[in-house]
Parts: sequence; C-alpha cells; structure tokens
Amino acid sequence: MFDLLKPATWFSSPDPLLRKNKACFADFDQNRPLAEYTFVVCDTELTGLDWKKDELISIGAVMIKDLQIDLASTFHHFVRPRNMAHTQATLVHRITPEQLQKARPIEVVLPQFLEFINGSLLVGHHLLLDMHFLNKAAKEVLGGTLSNPGVDTMRMAQGYKRVRLGHYHEHNPREISYNLEDLGREYNLPIFMAHDALEDAMQTAYLFLYFIKKFRKGGLVTLKDIYQAGRVGSLRY
Amino acid sequence: MTQSDVHAVAPEMALSFFRGILPFNSLDDATLNYLARHCRVDFYPKGTRLFTADKTEITHLYLIQRGGVKAFIEDDHGEVTLKDFRGEGAYIGALGIIRGTLASLNIETVEDTFCFLLPREIFLKLVQEEPSFAHYYLKSFSEKIVKTAYKELRHHKVSKRNADDLYLFSVKVGELVKTLLKVPSTSSIQQAAAIMAKYQVGSLLVHDPSDEDNVLGIITDHDFRGKVVAAGLDYHLPVAEIMSGPVESVLSQSLCFDVLLKMMTTGIHHLAVERGGRIIGVVTSHDIMLLQGHSPYYLFKEIKGQQQIRGLYVLAQKIPEVIRGLITEGAKAGNITQMIAILNDHILERMLILLEKQMGPPPLSYCWLLMGSEGRREQTFKTDQDNAILYADPKNDEERVAAEIYFKEFADKAINHLVNCGYPLCPGEIMATNPKWCQPLSAWKDCFTTWINAPDPAELLHATIFFDFRSGYGDSSLARELRNHLNKEAQKKDIFLFHLARQCVSIRIPLSFFKNFMVERDGEHKNQLDIKRQGLTPFVNFARVLALKHGISETNTLARFKALLDGEYINPELWSSANEAYELQMQQRLIHQLRQIEEGTLPDNHVDPEHLSDLERRMLKDAFAVIERLYSVLDKMYPVA
Repeated sequence: MFDLLKPATWFSSPDPLLRKNKACFADFDQNRPLAEYTFVVCDTELTGLDWKKDELISIGAVMIKDLQIDLASTFHHFVRPRNMAHTQATLVHRITPEQLQKARPIEVVLPQFLEFINGSLLVGHHLLLDMHFLNKAAKEVLGGTLSNPGVDTMRMAQGYKRVRLGHYHEHNPREISYNLEDLGREYNLPIFMAHDALEDAMQTAYLFLYFIKKFRKGGLVTLKDIYQAGRVGSLRY
Repeated sequence: MTQSDVHAVAPEMALSFFRGILPFNSLDDATLNYLARHCRVDFYPKGTRLFTADKTEITHLYLIQRGGVKAFIEDDHGEVTLKDFRGEGAYIGALGIIRGTLASLNIETVEDTFCFLLPREIFLKLVQEEPSFAHYYLKSFSEKIVKTAYKELRHHKVSKRNADDLYLFSVKVGELVKTLLKVPSTSSIQQAAAIMAKYQVGSLLVHDPSDEDNVLGIITDHDFRGKVVAAGLDYHLPVAEIMSGPVESVLSQSLCFDVLLKMMTTGIHHLAVERGGRIIGVVTSHDIMLLQGHSPYYLFKEIKGQQQIRGLYVLAQKIPEVIRGLITEGAKAGNITQMIAILNDHILERMLILLEKQMGPPPLSYCWLLMGSEGRREQTFKTDQDNAILYADPKNDEERVAAEIYFKEFADKAINHLVNCGYPLCPGEIMATNPKWCQPLSAWKDCFTTWINAPDPAELLHATIFFDFRSGYGDSSLARELRNHLNKEAQKKDIFLFHLARQCVSIRIPLSFFKNFMVERDGEHKNQLDIKRQGLTPFVNFARVLALKHGISETNTLARFKALLDGEYINPELWSSANEAYELQMQQRLIHQLRQIEEGTLPDNHVDPEHLSDLERRMLKDAFAVIERLYSVLDKMYPVA
C-alpha cells in the first residue's frame, strides 16, 4: 500500500527489462501461423482476492513451442509477500507459511519471470486477474507494465462453446461453468492437482492446446483469426 | 529455466503419468524427472493422422496420456485393414525407433488424444541402458521367435545355464556357441545332410575347400526343405549350390539381446559368431530364447529329475507361471495349450513312475487314459481331472483279482497325488477311482460298442468326453487298440453320428453378438459370454463328429481339423477360418483366466464383452460367423428331415 504511493515508482523511466520486453512486441504481427508463436501459460497464487491489498505468493508457468507443451521449460517460484499477515488465505493453496518465509521476494522473482516470458504471448485462465497482480508488482519493482499480448482460455472456452452450441444457449449462460477443472472434465482432459501454480498452469496449457488445435482444425490458422473469431484476448492488459 | 527456489523438478502430473505406465514405473525418480523434463505434450483432435506407413520418420516415442489411436494398413487400392487399437498408457513408434526404420503402420487418432513425446535419442538410450526396457519392448516383438523356439524345445540338448530373466542382457553370444561344424563347399548335399542328422544340428557352415578358415556360407534345415526337396534338386550336387552366403555374423562379445534384435530385424535366425576375425560357430534364435527364465525347458528338467512324489506338488504349481511367461511373450494359444498338456503329462508320468516304484510293478500292463479337454490336449489352467485306467485282458481269475486289487489302490493313490498337485476332482466322477472307469480292454470295447449301437441321446451327452481319450502314460498300444475298435464301430453307424451332430448344432450361436447381445440371460453370469460353451465347444464338437465319421484317430481339435483338411473332407478356406477362429478364442479364454488367477479369483469361462477391446470384439464376432458355417456343413450332412 505504502509502496504504491511512492511517486518515484510512477515517474522514473521503466527498468531495462521492461523496455526490452516492450521492444519485442513493437512490431507485433498477428498474421503468422499459430505454430510460429511461443506462448507462456501462467498461473499465480495470491494471498487473497483484494485487488488493492493482496499480493502474489507464487508464479507457475510453462512454455508452448510449436504448439506443444515443453516440459523442459517450466517456471515455478514461491514469492515472500511483504505482508505475511495475509497468508491465512494461503491455506487454500498447498503452500505453508514456512515455505513463504524461505521464499525470495518479488524483487528477485519478477525479473526472472520477465526473462522467462520474454518474446512470448501470455496465456492464462481469467488472465485479467493474473495480469493485474503481475502488473501491480511490475510497477512497484520495475516501474512499468508488461507488454506481452495475452490470450485468455476462459474467453476461448466461451468462443468455442458459442461455435459449438450456437447462440440459443446464450440466454442462460449461468448454467455453463467456466471453472478450469469443470472445463477439463467437460472436454475429457487429464485432471491435475488444483491450487498449485505450476499444476494449474499445466491444466490451463492442456485446455489452451485443446482449443487452439480445435480452432485450427476448424480453419483458424493465424493468431488474428483466433482473436477475431473468439475475441479471446487483447494486446494490452 | 534452470534455477528455481522450489526445485528443478518436472510437474507432478508428468511424473505421475510415467509412474503409472510400464516399463517406466521401474525407473527411479531421478530418471523419471530427467525424462519428464525432456518431453513435450501434444494434442491431436480426433481424426488426426500421426504416422503414414513408409513415409513418416519417427522422431519421438509417443505415449498416450488420454484418448486412443488406431493402427491400420492400406493397400494400393485403398483397402484398409485394421491392425490394432491403442489406448491410454500405450506407446506408438517403439519398433520403428529401435529398428531405425520409417513407420510401418498408419496411425490415426480415434478420439481427442493427448500424448507425451519422448525424443528418440533418449528412448534409445533407455533401451540400451535399462535392462527392463529392452526386455519389455523386446517381449512384444519376439512372438515369432518364441513360436519356433518352443516347438523344438523338447529335443534340445542340455544347456548349463540357470534360469534367470535377464540372461539375455548379461550373456555374451560367444558363451553360447556349440562345437563348430563345417564342411567344404565341394561336399554333396547328401553328405552335408548326413552330418547334420548325425550331430543333430540345424545348420552347417560351408568353407572354401582350400582354406578351412574361409567361411563362404551357411546351410540350414530350411534350405534342405525349400531348395532341395521342394525343388527336386539332385542330392549329389555340391552344397555350394544351396548355401546362403556370405554369412551374416556377430562378434562373440555381443550381448544376446543385441543378437536377437539383429535376428529380428534381418529375419535371419542363424548367425555366425566371430572372434578375432575367425568364425567360431553358429548361434540360433532358439539357443537364445532358451536363456529366458521361467522357460518350460527348466521345468521339464526339474520334473524329470524329481525323486519324491511330494516334490511334484510344488513343481505342478509352477506351471501357471511358466504359461504366463509364454502368454505375455505373445505365443499362440495352440502352442500354449500344447505346452500345458506336455507339462501336465510330465507331472503325471513322473508321478506314476514313482508310484509304481513304491507299490511294485503292476500285475498286467496298463494305460492311463486322459479324457475330455486333457484328452484333446486343450486344458487351460486347473481343469478337472478326467481320467481312467485301461489294462490288458486278464488270462484267468487269479490275474483278474490281482489286477482289480492292484489298480484300485493304484488309482486311489494316484488321484490323491493329483489333487495335491492342484488338479481338482471331477464332479462327474470320471476318474480311475470309479470302478466303471477302471477296466480291462474287452470291457472298454463293449462299453464303446454299446454307446455306438444303441445311442441314447441323454447318455451320449455325458459320454462325448470319452470319445476324446488318449494315452497319458503306460502301454499306449492298449489305447491304440481301443481307438481302432472305436473307429471301426463308429464309421458304420450313421444313427450314432446323427445324434452327435444334432447335439452339436443344438448349442445356440450368439448370432448378432455385440449389437443384440446374446449372452447368458440370467443368473450369476448375466450379460456375460460363456466363451467355452458358446465359443469353443461348437468347434470341438464339429471336429469330433467328423473325425469319428472319417476314422481319424487324432483327439486334439486343431489336429482333427488338419487331418480333415488333409483328407479333403473340408475345404481349405473353411479350414483356415476355423483354425484361426478357434485359436483366437482359446487365446482370449487363456488371457481371461490368467487375469483371474492374478486377481486371486477362480478361473472361469465367463467373459464380459464390456472388457474386450473393439478389435477383440470384432474378431470374436468373426469367429461366431465361422461357427454358423460349420453348422451348415453338419446340417447338410445329417439333415433333420
């Protein structure tokens, strides 16, 4: 809270890492075939769901190259929160307060994550939430926000269902669950341990792979096709 | 990403996948972690072609995590033949990677499918370094070799090796080589054959007449069959005419496993073994297969050497284990049941020899008869005892009384020992202990004559298993005489054959097997298929009727079919369909029972079609179509009206 009010973090020029990150997407071309992009599917765990107060406590991510999940390229770090008092909420996760005490602070973890996602598109389930906390941390630590374009698997799911079921289903959208695990079951995907950032990222990666290949089989071959058909993400979060 | 404050481990989901599948589950966590971190995961929507035969270069081993694929071949006219379905936990591409060839089958996903992709170099390294891996993938390829190896098993000379599963991976081929036999290329074909017969070898090396160390080629049994006898070649020609050369060779320090792989990839089963530039002998696939543990061969040896009847109890219990080895190596059902019969016969023979020693010699020569499935050499696991004693006709009352006393005690003890060996009593008391089934030759002849001349359909139903008798141990000339008597009597009596034939066709065929399910309608085995009664018995009955009609002495169903073919009583097309369908069902029954034994339940014949793969169901369905054809043959032969 206090950090957010420091004027220095608002007005100083962004960290070189962020500038490099931004340069990657300066001439971003959405018309290339899907397999040519590198995606990083990520998931974060938080101390709670208060957009202002809560913080990141872990970041899990896995890379997708050639539209295949690359198990050699994973990222999984715990983050020591500034305010350990909030960590009660972490009981939902499989993280113990001891693990958080030993973890490194966001100042160390975030630059590593930036290196990891450099040049890749970000993918997440309800990505807006993850991006909010990542960008909040980026502003505090590096003085700017991430430039990576994003794709939200939840919106892909909505787009996919629209295509599959037709519009008449839309009048009762509440009946449809867009929960990550429910979607996994609906599409008969392997189900992984929930509430672990890396496992959830992996679950999201399976879902992403499922949709993107189904879309591709349906004739959507470039990233732009995907964006337009499903309105599945945006260039800026 | 190398540094992590969690730990550089693969995601748990990848590790648990590997822990759950063969043969990866035998690896330690560090290795699994390494593997998982070198994998990629890919998704293939239903209907995606993964491999195209003779086109796709296989860069990864595919492990199916979710979904399924079909393997098929397609000929020039676009005709598709389905070879296999593979589901979760199965692999694709192993054979191609090991052999270094292009894909041999077309592979297409039949469901939405997720696969783990393990790079070929890593997989090859595993096959080389992990004995369990080599063993696992080898087993699935070695069917053909197992088949030929076991056929010759009984005649094989004693090898000094002890049973050990992993011998293939520790024994060097040089240690297996037997005395080198070679002949100059100028020897005649006949001379070479004489040498092979004398030394009981299947192959000879052929050398340059002026330089014994210069091996020019090799001749095998196969060459004599194909190139000499079948081709009508002059036996006086030099062997150089029929030899294969130059000889494929392996180094004496090669591991047996590598040699076996070479044999499988080249299709050459006789390889010359080379040491220091000289050929020191020949090794065959059969020599190598004998190294594998749980081999029936070692059980033979143990049974033969057993001096105590009690010792046989334990050995008999080992039979399922040996058979299991054969099944998992992919041996055909026909071979497996033959093997069970051979092992059971050896137990019986050894037991009766030891019992005779204990009781003193019998007053008259006798023959221990085996009936029913034992008589047909078609037992699976733990079939009931069906046996009888047939002894020579006594010349006077004294002999008659002596025989009755001796064989009664003999039968009591023998049956008891058999129970202890794990062969349950026959509920219908068709056993040598029943005085009705412990008789002299003349009484047995009368018995069969009555059945044949005055067939009572109800009685005949229970008597059919007697028509499948064979000699299990003892004076087999007695059994032969009884069989000749039976053949002579039966052939004349159409009314008897008519009853047998009607009885045969009265077993309902599950007509439309999987759509409108014709399975047991009620009781404990509701919705299950009795694979013995509905699937196998029709073949057995058909073969029995025609064998009796045509005076064929064979009792084994497949052998009866073969004899019927050779006698031109059935056409070759019907023969090959029946042969195939029967073997397939035997195989499914064996696998079903083996599974039950491993689950600790009593083996039965009730197969739940839900548990069969699509391919298995299709093949079963085809088998039932064959039964219909058999029945129509019988209907024409013995029409009701």
